[in-house]
Amino acid sequence: MSFWQYVAGRRAQLLADAWQHASAVFQCMVVATLLGVVIGVLTYRREWAGNLAVTTTATLLTIPSLALLGLLVPLTGLGVAPTVTALVLYGLLPIVRNAVVGLRGVDPSLVDAAKGIGMSRAARLLRVELPLAWPPILTGIRVATQMLMGIAAVAAYASGPGLGNEIFRGVSSLGSANALNQVLAGTLGIIVLALLFDAAYVLIGRLTIPGGIRG
Amino acid sequence: MRERLETRDTVGQPEAAEAGAPPGKDAPEGPPPRAAAPPRRVTWQKLTILPAFLLALLLATWLWFRGADLDSIARNSIADGNVWLRLRQHVVLTVVSTFFVLVIAIPLGILLTRRRLRPAAPAVIAVANVGQATPAIGLLALLVIWLGIGMQAALVGMVVYAVLPVLANTIAGLRAIDPTLVEAARGIGMSALGVLRRVELPLAVPLILAGVRTALVLNVGTATLAYFGGGGGLGDLIASGITNQRMPVLVLGSVLTVALALLVDWMASLAELLLRPRGLGAS
Repeated sequence: MSFWQYVAGRRAQLLADAWQHASAVFQCMVVATLLGVVIGVLTYRREWAGNLAVTTTATLLTIPSLALLGLLVPLTGLGVAPTVTALVLYGLLPIVRNAVVGLRGVDPSLVDAAKGIGMSRAARLLRVELPLAWPPILTGIRVATQMLMGIAAVAAYASGPGLGNEIFRGVSSLGSANALNQVLAGTLGIIVLALLFDAAYVLIGRLTIPGGIRG
Repeated sequence: MRERLETRDTVGQPEAAEAGAPPGKDAPEGPPPRAAAPPRRVTWQKLTILPAFLLALLLATWLWFRGADLDSIARNSIADGNVWLRLRQHVVLTVVSTFFVLVIAIPLGILLTRRRLRPAAPAVIAVANVGQATPAIGLLALLVIWLGIGMQAALVGMVVYAVLPVLANTIAGLRAIDPTLVEAARGIGMSALGVLRRVELPLAVPLILAGVRTALVLNVGTATLAYFGGGGGLGDLIASGITNQRMPVLVLGSVLTVALALLVDWMASLAELLLRPRGLGAS
C-alpha cells in the first residue's frame, strides 16, 4: 500500500488526530501565554525576581520531555492530564523569558514620558510597556509552539491525544507493512501543523505589532 | 528548546529576546545581543547550589526507592544492573552524538560563512528552520525503519536533530563578528586563513561553547527517545514504568534522567565560563 493510499484510507482517523494535536497545542499555548505574561509582568521590575524567573525556566527547559511526563504520570495518571500539564509548563518557559527580557528592554524614557502625561501604572503597562515588549513575546510564543508540537508527539506515549499516536503505532509494529506509513503520516502531519501555526503567527505579528516599532 | 543564539542567560536589548528559546530551537536572526547584564563569573553559588540540589534529589529518591514496594515486574525492570546499564548507555549516546554534532556543525558553519559559500547560508538556515518543526520522535522512528533497530539509528537521529540548531548558531555567531576587526586583520597583511585562525575563531569561542551546551542538552533529551528504536538509555526505565504501570521504576528513570540533564547543563555552563577567552571580558 503506498503512502497516499494509506492516507486516503485513514483520512478520518488522521484528521481527527491532527485536529486533537493542533487543539491540544493551541489551548495549552493560550494558557501558557497568559500565565507567562503575568509571571513576566510580576517579576521584571525586581532584579532578583526577574532573574529567578528566567533562571528557573531555563533550568526546566533542560529537562527532557519524557522524564517530565514520567514524573507527572504518578501524580496525574495517564492521558490528557499529564499531557496538558507538560505542554503548559514547557510552553511557559520561552514566554516568561522573553516577556521579562522584552519588558526590561523598554526604553525607560518612554515609560517616564507616559508617567509625565499622567498615565497610571496599569495604563503604562497596558498601553506602553506591553505593546513595546510584544514582538519578543510573540517570538517566544512561536518558539514555544514549535517545541510543543514535538512534545505533544512524545506525550502520546503517556496516552495523550494527537498525531504522536500514529507515530507510536508505527514504532510498536516495526516491520509490518504499515509501520512506515504510520510514522510518516504522523511526522509529516506534525510538520505541516507546525508550519501552519508559524504562518499564523507571522500574520498575527503583522496585525498586532504597532507600526512604529515594526522592524 | 531550543536557546539560542546561545547565550542562554543574556539579558539585554530586546533582540536578546529573540535568543530566548529552548536549546537550539530558534535560528537567531539579526544582530546578537551585546553584553550580558549579570556578571559572568564563576561564583560559589554557581558551583554549589546545583550539585547540592542534585545530591539531595538523588538521596531522597534512593531512600524512597529503598522503601518502595517492588513486585516481580518492577524488580525485573531493574534487575542485573539494568539501571547502571541504561545510565551508561544514556551517557554514551549523549557524548557520542554531541561529538559528531560538533565535528559536523562547526566546520560547516565556518565554511558557510566564507566568501565563496556565503550565498548558500540562507538556504541552510531555511532547512534548519523546517528541521525544527520535525518532531524528534518521528525522525528517530523513520531512521529506525530505514537503518534497522539499534543504537546506530538512534545516534544518527540525534545527530541530525541537533546539527541544525548548532549550525545556525555558529553561522549567526561568526556573522556577528565586527567586520572592521576582520578588515583590520586583512589590512595588516594577514591571510584569510590567518584571520580565521587568529581573529574570527577566538572571537567565536563563546559561541562555539554555547553550541556545545546546546548540543549536549538537546542530546540528553533526545537520548531518552532512543529506547523506542532499540537504542537503550534511560528511556527504557521510563517507558517500561509507563507500560507496566510500575511507578517506582518510572520515577527512578525520570529522576535519573532529570539529574543527568541538569548535571550536563551545569558542567557545560561552567565550561562556558572557564574557557572563554580572557580578553572578551564580561561580554
